[in-house]
Amino acid sequence: MIRSPSRPARLLIHAAVYTLALSMALPFLWMLSTSLKSEAETLSGRVSLLPQSWRWSNFPAAVRAANLDRYYLNSLIIAALTTALGVLHNALAGYAFAKLRFRGRRTLLVLALFTMTLPVQVSFIFMALICARLGYLDNTTGLIVPFLASGFGIFYMKQVCTAVPGALLEAGRMDGMTDFELFWLIVRPAAWPGIAALAIITFVNSWNAFFWPLVAIDSDRAKTLPLAIADLASGKYVQSWPVRMAAATILTLPLLIGFLIFQRAFVRGVTMTGLKE
Amino acid sequence: MARPSSTSAYAFLAFPLGVLIVFTLVPTMLGLGLSLFTWDGVGRASFAGLENFRALARDPRFGPALRNTLVFVVASVPPTVLIGFLVAAAMHARWFIGRSIARTMVFIPTVVSIVAIGFVWRWMLDDGGGLVPAMLRTLGFTDLPNFLQDGSWPMVSIIVVSIWRGIGLAAVLYLAALSNLGEGFDEAAACDGASRAQVLRHITWPLVGPTTVFLLITGAISALQVFDIVWAMTAGVENDATTVLNLYVFREFQQSRLGYASAIAVLIFVLTMLASAPAMTGRRARA
Repeated sequence: MIRSPSRPARLLIHAAVYTLALSMALPFLWMLSTSLKSEAETLSGRVSLLPQSWRWSNFPAAVRAANLDRYYLNSLIIAALTTALGVLHNALAGYAFAKLRFRGRRTLLVLALFTMTLPVQVSFIFMALICARLGYLDNTTGLIVPFLASGFGIFYMKQVCTAVPGALLEAGRMDGMTDFELFWLIVRPAAWPGIAALAIITFVNSWNAFFWPLVAIDSDRAKTLPLAIADLASGKYVQSWPVRMAAATILTLPLLIGFLIFQRAFVRGVTMTGLKE
Repeated sequence: MARPSSTSAYAFLAFPLGVLIVFTLVPTMLGLGLSLFTWDGVGRASFAGLENFRALARDPRFGPALRNTLVFVVASVPPTVLIGFLVAAAMHARWFIGRSIARTMVFIPTVVSIVAIGFVWRWMLDDGGGLVPAMLRTLGFTDLPNFLQDGSWPMVSIIVVSIWRGIGLAAVLYLAALSNLGEGFDEAAACDGASRAQVLRHITWPLVGPTTVFLLITGAISALQVFDIVWAMTAGVENDATTVLNLYVFREFQQSRLGYASAIAVLIFVLTMLASAPAMTGRRARA
C-alpha cells in the first residue's frame, strides 16, 4: 500500500491545484462582473467582483449594438443542423464500414481516414471557390454542408458500431429488417453513448468555428457569433468594456451552463474522442 | 447469413464520402497544385514552378512568421501536457478532496470558444481596467508593460493563455488514462521503497505514455496551425511580433495572392507531417 504524502505536502498540492482551478473560472467571473458594471467603475481602478451599481442595461445595449440576436440565431441553426445531419451521416458511414460487406470497403475507408490528416489551410481557397460555384458562399449553407461528414467522425462511428454485438444484427436480419432498419432500430440505441459523444463534440466545434466562417462569410446578415465577438474584441460596434463583456457573456454563458448540466456526457465525449474534429 | 448488402452500403456512404471528396479531398489537391502557380483568383493562373517558394525564402516577413509559429509550438505544447499530467496525478490520488469540482473548474476553458477566450483575456490584461495589471499594481509592481502591445509581451500573453486553456483537456485525458490503469499499479514499486516522486516519474509517466504521445502530436498539429487565439488577442493592434504562419496565409489570401498563400500553406502541411512522423515511428518501434 502506497503511503499518502505528509499533511503539509497534501495541503500544498491541494492549494496548487485549486489555485489553478480558480484561475480557470476567474476570467469568466471577471467577465460577468464587468458586464454588470458602469463604464466609469471599470476605469476607476477599483478592483471588486461585485459591481457598485448593477447595470443590467449593458445586456440590451450589447444585443442592439452588435445585432447579437441575429448572430445567435445563425449560430444556433448552423450548429444544430450540422450536428443532427452530420452525426447521422457519419454514423451511417461508420455503420457501413463496421457491419456491411461491399467491394472497395478498404479503399474507401482509407480515403475517409486520409482526409483527417489534411490541414484546412491547404484546402480553404478551393473550398471557397467550390462553395462560390455552388452558391454556398456568404450564407449559412456554406457553413453546414462541408461539415456534414468528417474523416474523424466516420472513423469514430466505425469504432463505436464495431462494438455492437453481431448477434443482435443477425436476429434483426432473421426478422427481415432492411439495413437501414437495422441501423435505426438496433445500432442507434446500442451505440447511443458514442453517438452522443460525437454529437456534443460536433456541436461545440460548429458553435465555436472561426477560421472557415471568417473566409466564407462577408455580409453581416450571415455572420456567426464568433465572428461578431472577434469584431467586438477589435473595438468594432462599441468601445465600452462593460457592454463588450456583456456580449462575451451572451456568447459564453449558454455553453458554460450547458457544460455544467451535461458535464458527465461532456467529459465522456471528450475522453472518448480526444476533442477532435 | 452473408447477404450481400452492397447496395445499402453504397447508399449510406454516397453522401458522406461525396462531402469529403468535394469539400476536402479535391480542394486539397488543387490547393497543393496552386502553390506552383501565380493566381489572383480572377484572371488566368500562370505556372510559376517553385517561384513562390523561392520568393518565400526572400520574404522578410516570412522568417518572423515561421519563428513565431515554432516558438509558439515549443513554448505552449510541452508545458500544457506536463502541467495537465501533474494536475491529473494530483486529482487522481485517493487523498485528493473534491476531485469532481476541481475537474469541472479546470475543464471550463476547454468548452469556451477560443475567440471568446482571447476576447475575455484582452480585458483581463487591458492597460486601463484589466484585472491582471490591477492585481500586479496592488502587489507593488509599477511600470508594467502593455501586455498586448509592447515588444514580445503579446506573444508571451498568447502562449500563456494557450497553455491555460489546454490544461483542462490534457488533465481530463490523463485522468481517464490513470483510471484505466486501475488500482495498485504503483504498489509494487512503493513496496520496494521508491519515493512518490520516483513512482510518478518512473512508473506512472511511462504508463500513460500513449496519452502523452497523443497530446503532443495533436497539440503540435493544432499549434502549427494556430490562428483563432492570435486573431482574437491581437485584432486591431496586430504587428509582426505576433504574426504566425496561418495568419500570414490568411493575409495573403485577402490580398488575392492565392498561389503565394498556398505555398505557405503547403509549408504548414509539411511541418505538420514532420511533427507527427517521429512520434508515429517512435510509437511503432516501441510497440
